[in-house]
Amino acid sequence: MQFAMWELHLFLDTHPNNCDAARKLEEYRSRAEALRKEYEEKFGPLNETSRETSRWAWIRDPWPWEREAN
Amino acid sequence: MFIYEKKLQYPVKIKNTNPALAKIIISQYGGPHGEIGASLRYLSQRYSMPYPELKAILTDIGTEELAHLEMVGTIVYQLTRDLTPQQIQEAGFDTYFVDHTAGVYPVAASGTPFNANTFAVTGDTIADLHEDLSAEQKARLTYDNILRFADDPDVRDPIKFLRAREIVHFQRFGEGLRILTDKLDSKNFYAFNPSFDK
Repeated sequence: MQFAMWELHLFLDTHPNNCDAARKLEEYRSRAEALRKEYEEKFGPLNETSRETSRWAWIRDPWPWEREAN
Repeated sequence: MFIYEKKLQYPVKIKNTNPALAKIIISQYGGPHGEIGASLRYLSQRYSMPYPELKAILTDIGTEELAHLEMVGTIVYQLTRDLTPQQIQEAGFDTYFVDHTAGVYPVAASGTPFNANTFAVTGDTIADLHEDLSAEQKARLTYDNILRFADDPDVRDPIKFLRAREIVHFQRFGEGLRILTDKLDSKNFYAFNPSFDK
């Protein structure tokens, strides 16, 4: 979902007038928020804007380059 | 500014240690067509870009390249877990190991450390965008060459993702070039440099 949003975001850089892509991005954006919340509840905060502000939650293993994270 | 997100753009989960493959793939970390050069090239070129579409695409692609740098570093890291002295020697990984142990250092497969001589920032919009198109093709062909040597599906999968991204970026830069030429003198694209001449 986040990847699809990123792809639309890049497309809109060079096609800022494309309404279909902008609409699709808006639709994904509204769905992504809930998914992000679900992910963070399971795996911990994604960055410092996350709801979970515990220092331990942020520094907790695994980090993205570790096999266990993927 | 930049904000870190604690996850990879695309998952990397490699079960088998393979230092010989790590030695090749590290070229996309610090080699002449690698991701650090790509990111520095685009993020540095954007200052002299004259049009909003071009500022946006260089910022966004330059940012995505940092996510790719992290993926390539992850692939190298996971391919060099739990190395035995025998594996290090058999794979010819000893020449890297002696300086870096199992750390991830930006270096080309041939052993040359990362160098900003591998890219250009000319301050000329046409020249910079052509460089960017060429850079995406050079990164694509390097991933194609990596795929000739990689038979582990755990490695091939993220490499194929990275290869596909080069093709998408090439497309976006091509659109950027057309946006640029549409705004130039159609009888002589080189009549003025929109990055410098007002």
